[in-house]
Amino acid sequence: MAILPTKNPILSAQNLCVESVGAKESFPVLTDLNFSLEPGKILGLVGESGAGKSMIGRTISQYLPKGFAVTKGTLAFDGEDLVSMLPERRRNLLGRDIAFIPQEPLSGLNPVLTVGQQIKEHLLRIGLASGENWRERALKEFESVHLPHGAALLEKYPHQLSGGMCQRILIAMAFASRPRLLIADEPTTALDVTIQARIVKLIAEMQKRDGTAVIFITHDLRLASQISDEIMVLYAGRPAERGPAKQLFSSPAHPYTRCLQLANPTITGPRRGLFILPERMPGLRVLKELKGCRFASRCPNAIEACTRAEPPLADIGPNHIAACIRTEKTPDIVPPPLAPGREIASARIHLNGEKLTKAYTTAWSPFAKRSSFKAVNSVDFSLGEGEFVGIVGESGSGKSSLARLVVGLDTPTDGRITLAGRDITANGNADRAYRREYIQMVFQDPQSALNPRRRIGSIVTQANEASGLHNSTRERMDRAAELLKEIGLPPDAAMRFPSQLSGGQKQRVNIARALCTLPRILVADEIVSGLDVSVQAQLLDLLLKLRDEHGFSMLFISHDLSVVRYLCDRVMVMYRGEVVESGRTETVFADPKHAYTRSLLAAVPPDDVNAEWSPVLAEAGYQVE
Amino acid sequence: MRMFATIAKLLVKRVLTAIPILLLVSALLFCILRILPVDPAAMSLPPNATVQEVEAMRTEMGLNLPLYQQYGIWLNKLFHGDIGRSIHFRQDVTSLIGSTLPATIELAVIAMMVATVFGLAGGLFLFYVRGTRAEAVMDFVSILLLSLPEFLWSLFLLLIFGVFFEVLPFTGRLSPGFERPLVTGFLLFDSLITGNIPTLLNALQHMILPCLALGIALSPSLMRVLRSSLLDAYQDDYIQQARLRGLSEKRILIRHGLKNAILPTLSLMGVQFGFLFGGTLLVEIIYSYPGMGNLMVDAIRNADLPIIQGAGLTYCVAVLVISIVVDSLYLILNPKLRVR
Ligand SMILES: Nc1ncnc2c1ncn2[C@@H]1O[C@H](COP(=O)(O)OP(=O)(O)OP(=O)(O)O)[C@@H](O)[C@H]1O
Ligand code: SF4
Ligand SMILES: [Mg+2]
Repeated sequence: MAILPTKNPILSAQNLCVESVGAKESFPVLTDLNFSLEPGKILGLVGESGAGKSMIGRTISQYLPKGFAVTKGTLAFDGEDLVSMLPERRRNLLGRDIAFIPQEPLSGLNPVLTVGQQIKEHLLRIGLASGENWRERALKEFESVHLPHGAALLEKYPHQLSGGMCQRILIAMAFASRPRLLIADEPTTALDVTIQARIVKLIAEMQKRDGTAVIFITHDLRLASQISDEIMVLYAGRPAERGPAKQLFSSPAHPYTRCLQLANPTITGPRRGLFILPERMPGLRVLKELKGCRFASRCPNAIEACTRAEPPLADIGPNHIAACIRTEKTPDIVPPPLAPGREIASARIHLNGEKLTKAYTTAWSPFAKRSSFKAVNSVDFSLGEGEFVGIVGESGSGKSSLARLVVGLDTPTDGRITLAGRDITANGNADRAYRREYIQMVFQDPQSALNPRRRIGSIVTQANEASGLHNSTRERMDRAAELLKEIGLPPDAAMRFPSQLSGGQKQRVNIARALCTLPRILVADEIVSGLDVSVQAQLLDLLLKLRDEHGFSMLFISHDLSVVRYLCDRVMVMYRGEVVESGRTETVFADPKHAYTRSLLAAVPPDDVNAEWSPVLAEAGYQVE
Repeated sequence: MRMFATIAKLLVKRVLTAIPILLLVSALLFCILRILPVDPAAMSLPPNATVQEVEAMRTEMGLNLPLYQQYGIWLNKLFHGDIGRSIHFRQDVTSLIGSTLPATIELAVIAMMVATVFGLAGGLFLFYVRGTRAEAVMDFVSILLLSLPEFLWSLFLLLIFGVFFEVLPFTGRLSPGFERPLVTGFLLFDSLITGNIPTLLNALQHMILPCLALGIALSPSLMRVLRSSLLDAYQDDYIQQARLRGLSEKRILIRHGLKNAILPTLSLMGVQFGFLFGGTLLVEIIYSYPGMGNLMVDAIRNADLPIIQGAGLTYCVAVLVISIVVDSLYLILNPKLRVR
């Protein structure tokens, strides 16, 4: 390895291997990890779900899942081996010299203790405060993470705060001890785009203040390239490529890095097609039997020679290494051409909403006055035949409430909805039956939307039960086979249960179920969030392909602006229940008129690593926190 | 401060809803017992009374009035603390209940304490040995315990410690010859505040077997709920996060794990305590314990309507009080319920 540390590294791994050492079988989760992290530097860890990113954090803390252990190599913190160190000594480092920021800020804090109790516990343990002066210290830490009203905050319980505030509190706790190493495991995945940008900037700011070395785990290569000094791309537990962030992003050497980059839609410039990484990362058990390059089964550049031996991590530039024998061919990987844009010439309006309003009133109580707030406030919209319309906005902006009105899960307080010429505002029984034929909804969380005790074949044809049509077993089996083929699942999946599918496959089933009765309109609420970019690209193209075949239209709710830009013809930007801007996606994104739209767009990390990412950190009036 | 306000609100709300519930229960008790083929007038007269005498008695007792009027009269008396006179014991029902209720309360409270101690200790142990072979054994044992009802425990314990080893008394509340102080009617409490230690010790000895029987019968479900709530809590991120901040396992368990896991356990305890109150019946009979259970059995055997009505109402009030107490505790312990 050609990386010669100039300073003493704060963390260094040498030939680190972590394996499952179960009684029956053993397989590696991390293979031959080599890296060193200098003080004050940020290392970005990128890879698909299951690549082993979190496992690195767990190895550092040595809280590995049951049955896993370090089997080879060393992992040293400031020269001391973390693996062989006495547990007491390691526990002493945790929270003091090594700090962690979790993925889910809301569940990272104990729900039955106040924020004050929790930060006090931490400050007292690390000896930063004694007795009653913890309060002063806590307020000082809150100030440094820009949390206003610190004193009031101490009395609050986590559930009374937003995700962004909880994350700030956790960051304040993590940095209270001026740690030398921080591991942030997808610290912003659960947050809104604008808040994500602020939190990332905050981590960078604190990191600079204390000269902390940071391991920043994310599945977003673009985000990693913006904030890291160096990036390591992991594939199935082994580094595929490692190098200086900007260089790695602008000229990726490993095909996997390139594919990940091209699977993500862009936010600026001309729209391009998405590279579809086929299949999934091989499972860990399969890997053990695998000879040759572990990426070969999905690699567009694979040749016979690739399957002979595992390619070594070879130098390809200063401080830049990649595990591929044909790195010179990597730039040849190009995105497929963009599917020709559809002209919505017919402009036949399917669905129309006028001044739609949904007010929620608090439950009756003898002690409090009932108050009401408008989740959806006087929204006008229309959806033409074959049109995909995106709805973007922060959480709580009323996107899902609007979707619920459209599919009839809620009845509007005010306004009018018409569907193919018929007024369905009243949402009576006849309206519902009528609506069901036209509109189907795809839910956000396939995990909870799919009944775990039903087979996939029965789930995807569930809608037939309600309509009473084609309800014989034979007909349903045939329809299920057809649907599975359309969404690209093997026919034998019909007999499986949801638990036997991957997250992406479940979401496909979810889509197939909505398509079963050939609805004219789909309402999709955040259906690709939380999925890997590779799976996301597969699903986006699936939706476009299905539209070509069946010509349905879609209301597509998402907080991911790049995805909306790729998929949707028109976009509506919602803020506090109102539509603040709408129009053709490209126009709106290229030339946003409303300040809120601008702040949303600025929060997205730019496609060009050399461009400056300057999210609006706090704009008066447009702060949700 | 806010917490007290919320609890005060809860109390007001619960007491307000308790009133219609009590009215409904009293009406039910009244009607059902009137429908029974038992003539209270005939029962309160000697067997050789004539038809005229019975008829006179019926008029005197108001039994010829319409049902709703009878209910009104009964309810009015109830408000003045008069539930009627026991036909069998020839004594006011109020005083009968007043002399047996404290005994049952003492039994139920101590049994619940035993169940809590066993339940918490067992639950912690079950949790501690999770994933080991000991867990399978403990699991088996706890299911075995769960499947034995309290009256079987009563009989086992009575036979082993009372009859075979003869180390503990197993009838009544006190051995003959012990002086019985009377202040509040609660024997343990009274002997404690009058400083009558011999009586206190003797009474406690008498309570060991029945309380153990009830406590052992109730504890397995507590153990299992505590274990599974602890396992749930340990799946949550905040536990992992506490570890990563370097807190000790002991501190994590007590301050972070138990504090969350105790909530479901607490609501189960509330339910159990309610049941326990009516469920001491068999145990009281087996140990000839002079509580409400024994009174109730006597009343049923003799079709003694006023006692059945009085006991039924008492039971209803007790369950309402317990549920209010448990809900307030829940409110204190679970901040999520405390918003606004
Ligand atoms: N508790 C566990 N028991 C068994 N296997 C596990 C456990 N946790 C993780 N793994 C396996 O270890 C591998 C690496 O998982 P890891 O959580 O590090 O992935 P990741 O890159 O962090 O993914 P994600 O993006 O989903 O967080 C995966 O194949 C996963 O299935
Ligand atoms: S070695 Fe071959 S299969 Fe592996 S990444 Fe390089 S080109 Fe693809
Ligand atoms: Mg992870």
